[in-house]
Amino acid sequence: MHVRLLIKIKEDIFGKLGLVLMALFIFSALILPFIFHDTESHSQTIFGPPSSGHILGTNDVGQDIFSRLIHGTRTSVFVAVGAGFLSTLISTFVGVSAGIIGGIYDKILMRLVDALLVIPTIVILILTASYINPGVWVLTLLISLLYWQGGARVIRSQTLSLKERMHISAARTFGAGRWYIIFRHIIPDLGPILVVSFIHRARMAVFMEAGLAFIGIADPLMISWGMMMHHALKFYYLPVWKWWLIPPGVALSLLIISFAFLGYSLEKVLEPRLRNA
Amino acid sequence: MKANVINYAVAFFIILLLNFLLPRLMPGDPLMAIYGEETLLSMTQEHKSQLADSFGLDKPLWKQFFIYLYNLARGDMGYSHYHNTPVLKVIISYLPWTLLLMGTALILSTVFGIIAGIESGWRRGKSLDKVLLTSMMSLSGFPSFFIGIIFLLTFSVTLGILPLQGAKTAYSELSGFALFLDVVKHLILPLASLALVFVSGSYLLTRNTMVTILKESFILTAKAKGLRDRKIRYKHAGRNSMLPVITQTGIGFGTRLITGALFIEVVFSYPGMGNLIYNSLLMRDYPVLQGSLLMITVLVLGINLTVDLLYRKLDPRVGNAR
Repeated sequence: MHVRLLIKIKEDIFGKLGLVLMALFIFSALILPFIFHDTESHSQTIFGPPSSGHILGTNDVGQDIFSRLIHGTRTSVFVAVGAGFLSTLISTFVGVSAGIIGGIYDKILMRLVDALLVIPTIVILILTASYINPGVWVLTLLISLLYWQGGARVIRSQTLSLKERMHISAARTFGAGRWYIIFRHIIPDLGPILVVSFIHRARMAVFMEAGLAFIGIADPLMISWGMMMHHALKFYYLPVWKWWLIPPGVALSLLIISFAFLGYSLEKVLEPRLRNA
Repeated sequence: MKANVINYAVAFFIILLLNFLLPRLMPGDPLMAIYGEETLLSMTQEHKSQLADSFGLDKPLWKQFFIYLYNLARGDMGYSHYHNTPVLKVIISYLPWTLLLMGTALILSTVFGIIAGIESGWRRGKSLDKVLLTSMMSLSGFPSFFIGIIFLLTFSVTLGILPLQGAKTAYSELSGFALFLDVVKHLILPLASLALVFVSGSYLLTRNTMVTILKESFILTAKAKGLRDRKIRYKHAGRNSMLPVITQTGIGFGTRLITGALFIEVVFSYPGMGNLIYNSLLMRDYPVLQGSLLMITVLVLGINLTVDLLYRKLDPRVGNAR
């Protein structure tokens, strides 16, 4: 499983596109909010069309839409990275430990994973969110707790197969302990799978955050694309949708597409039968 | 097989438990969490204590859980003060529309996805394949509700050729064929949005399998026999490429379907479960919210179990694998 991921991805058109888009989003999430920082002040004109002062006009209470769009990027990227990282961490922990320890521990965990795989997770999300109106942090945590099960199964079966490989047996004969093998051999060898898992969870998380905000159950003070669309859709009969409803939707779609492209090209690298496809 | 049914039982139990525990563990008056603030304010003290009694709120938690289960088993999911109707009745009036939307979207997207996947895999690397692959990949990125919004803005708001919302024209006494046409007209946009979301999944799977299957020796044999291209494409390669579409969409499929439907219904105010949930969130109509979520759980678990059992039948290897 030693594939030089970045180089392989750059050879693929989808991978290249995904990387470029991703870099763009990360840049605008990190830097731009400092330039366009005025998300709250109310100008005199409501539903103002795009002008020199307001690139994308103003919303129903006269706030600058473009600044809010930029800050929405920060929310989405944060949720993507946070939930992607956290849920991959949980699935790695569950998958590796189940694969290594085995026995009854493995059985119980995998039963839980199977149950979680068939549960409509959106139900738990809506139910919990309706009571606590989560902000960015809680939402990230909630999504991570609900979307680790798919990765855990894959990581477990990969761990089971890695455990029996030659180089691991060799390490063991040299006297390597359990922890040494896990951290120096198994987890590095899982690397590419963890990256794929991260990308998939991140994509899922962005969609879920936007979806929940869109149906209006996130913290009303949070600035997010889903929330913008939630408010903008109420005024579909005004021309304001052109600069209020469409931009966050396009941004959201592009972010998810960049994850999808990256994920697809990664899978192609890891699945040799699909190479050159 | 048996282990499978247990998974579903465990899953159902987890949701039941959450549905029961969450409102009761919220800080403050549990009646408030069960019924919502607005409803509670309009109640008399007498009515409140009567309700608290019926939930057994003064009893220990495990006893309350049994009361909860007992009521559910009788089909009593509580009373919606907003709709002024029992919760179960409200849900039953909304459920058919969601089923209609999900069912038609499922059929449309699978059929189109498989056909496009077969054609694309057959022509791998040619221009049609490239166009299809790129557009399907991009499509898979669009969130369901944004596709819905684009359709709504294009066809209903700007062009004005399709209805804006609802599942049929309100207060019109249509019947027979006219009613059917009216329902179809209202269904087109939500259906198209939902089908588009799912078509990329079955397309990508079919295409990938097509690519690997075309390298198998039985395809070479078929070519050597002089069979026509169409026959090889559909009868030999195509049929075998369909299997993973069913197997891989199997796990968690119901969940993805319902998630898409919920969001799209909100966009089009389509009177199904998604819209019911959306409105009960707005109105803080908690009994309906909890009932709907429970109903969706039952629905999704049912779909997932069916797909699970179905694909064991289609691919005997799976049944023996565990």
